[in-house]
Amino acid sequence: MSPLATHGLGKRFRREWALRDLTLEIPPGAIVGLAGPNAAGKSTLLALATGLLAPTEGTISVLGRDPLRDPGVLADVGYVAQGAPLYRSFRVAETIEFVRRTNARWDDEIVGELLTRIDSSSRVASLSEGDRARLALALVLGKRPQLVLLDEPFASLDPLAARELLQLLMDGVAETGSTVVIASHVVADIERVCDHIVLLTGGGVRLEGSVEELLDTHRLLTGPRRPLGAIRGVREVVRERHSGRQLTLLTVVEGPIVDPSWTVEPVSLEDLLLAYMAPERLPAPKTPEKVPLRWHG
Amino acid sequence: MAWVTWRQHRPQLVAAAGLLFALAAAALGTRIPIEAAFHRESLAACLPPAARTGCDIIVPHFEAEFGGLVTSVRVLTVLPVLAGLFVGAPLLARELELGTYRFAWTQGVTRRRWLLSKTALLAAATVIAGAAASAIVMWWRAPYDILEGRISPSSFDIEGLVVPAYALFALVLGVLAGLVFRRTVAAMTATLLAFGATRFLVTEFVRPHFLAPLHRVVLATDSGRGPGDWVLSDTLVDGGGRQITAAREDLAVTHAQLAGIDPHTYIVTLGWKRLIAYQPAGRFWDFQLLEAGLFVGLAALIVLVTVWLVRRTAT
Repeated sequence: MSPLATHGLGKRFRREWALRDLTLEIPPGAIVGLAGPNAAGKSTLLALATGLLAPTEGTISVLGRDPLRDPGVLADVGYVAQGAPLYRSFRVAETIEFVRRTNARWDDEIVGELLTRIDSSSRVASLSEGDRARLALALVLGKRPQLVLLDEPFASLDPLAARELLQLLMDGVAETGSTVVIASHVVADIERVCDHIVLLTGGGVRLEGSVEELLDTHRLLTGPRRPLGAIRGVREVVRERHSGRQLTLLTVVEGPIVDPSWTVEPVSLEDLLLAYMAPERLPAPKTPEKVPLRWHG
Repeated sequence: MAWVTWRQHRPQLVAAAGLLFALAAAALGTRIPIEAAFHRESLAACLPPAARTGCDIIVPHFEAEFGGLVTSVRVLTVLPVLAGLFVGAPLLARELELGTYRFAWTQGVTRRRWLLSKTALLAAATVIAGAAASAIVMWWRAPYDILEGRISPSSFDIEGLVVPAYALFALVLGVLAGLVFRRTVAAMTATLLAFGATRFLVTEFVRPHFLAPLHRVVLATDSGRGPGDWVLSDTLVDGGGRQITAAREDLAVTHAQLAGIDPHTYIVTLGWKRLIAYQPAGRFWDFQLLEAGLFVGLAALIVLVTVWLVRRTAT
């Protein structure tokens, strides 16, 4: 059973669709990077998964249950909303007590380990951004959730703190084999740990798959500038870039590129995601009749 | 959830306890002279059937002496709405305003249980505080109430069962307003307006009809006010029982003045009487039960609406 699955999911705010016709199935145990530019629908998807929002159309299932009709499922979901909202007037110890008392399953040990550095009598409002994010993460891991949903957990953190937090998260879920979904518009934050990517743009899935599979099927082609036609071995050109007399293509390949005028290189996950995220789309390829494409083997 | 409720509403609960304590202390301090005067003048002996003479002087004197104080106690009418403004309205509005609902509502305790537990615990505290305030006021006003009755709104509204019922109603009204308006200040304003309007409408248009009013016909010159009654209307009628219009009354008064007769005497000679509609003092507890029941019923309805809405709240 997929820990997070949607079918034809859509959410409209007034007239704007934040998410439309989204069909997904996250594999169990995956560490999912939910990528996409701002306003792509990442937060909306996570809010739908926690029942904080109701879908306008379609369905969403979390651990096989409907989060809106059956909110008890949230006992098995650890969610950190954007900005890690906590009660600012609470002390750290009180915040932990709050979560302990509002959850049937609670692991003090893991929370203690994560928070050794933080004084439990200090107020949440007085914590640094890094410590607050750490506290929010500890509260989530203390629930021993089957599904962890993090909405922009690193937005306000410096890169070092972000890396540390990510490490804590990975250690925390390593034993339980939980599925993790990390929504982030900063690709660098998620590429280090994710083994599965869901890329949203404009409220729909632009790209989905395991990292391995995505890296396998994408190649960067570099060669002299020329009019473009079909290239043997290339199924789709995702993006083209000209620099001087040089042409660089990000492509989805379906076989070996035999044309020797192309230098074929693997692509990094970050470049791949950025290419898909960029707003402008590739113009339609020019028709082959006008230009003889002799270099096509 | 008890710990959670206590932790989040500690300031309000402490403030309520402080307020009750101050009220009790003030009541204790100011009641001593009232009690002393009541006994010194043997006012108990003036209760109907009046057994001693001079009551027509002593009672008004006693009432005048403490009238200012008793009137000022009417300010306690505002107490119940405080539960709505400072406990009810922020309950959901603050969570929605600050975004902490995304933390609170995604724990193992479901949103509905979270809301019901908090509301139930705070409702219990509110009812206890309301009952305590009501008991203090009833004890304080007792000497006065014996003479004046307590069914008229000036005492009815701050005594008996209605006080905790109003407070409960205000509390849940505040919770609903917080859910609808999502801003604490807006929710407080809405609570105040809705509570005030409901109380006004019930007092003016519903309470007088809980039981059919009684009628009494007296001489036009009589005061006509039995002790402790709540007078709903007081009109002049002619010998045939028809109501005298203001114009007809003016005409009669002018006529008497022109003729050099005392208008009161003239009206009596015309055979005009006064028809008084009233609720007798003895219906106090019946009315208390009915009105408290009405407000508790409204409160239950509001809780149902709130629970239904909170599940559907898209945020």
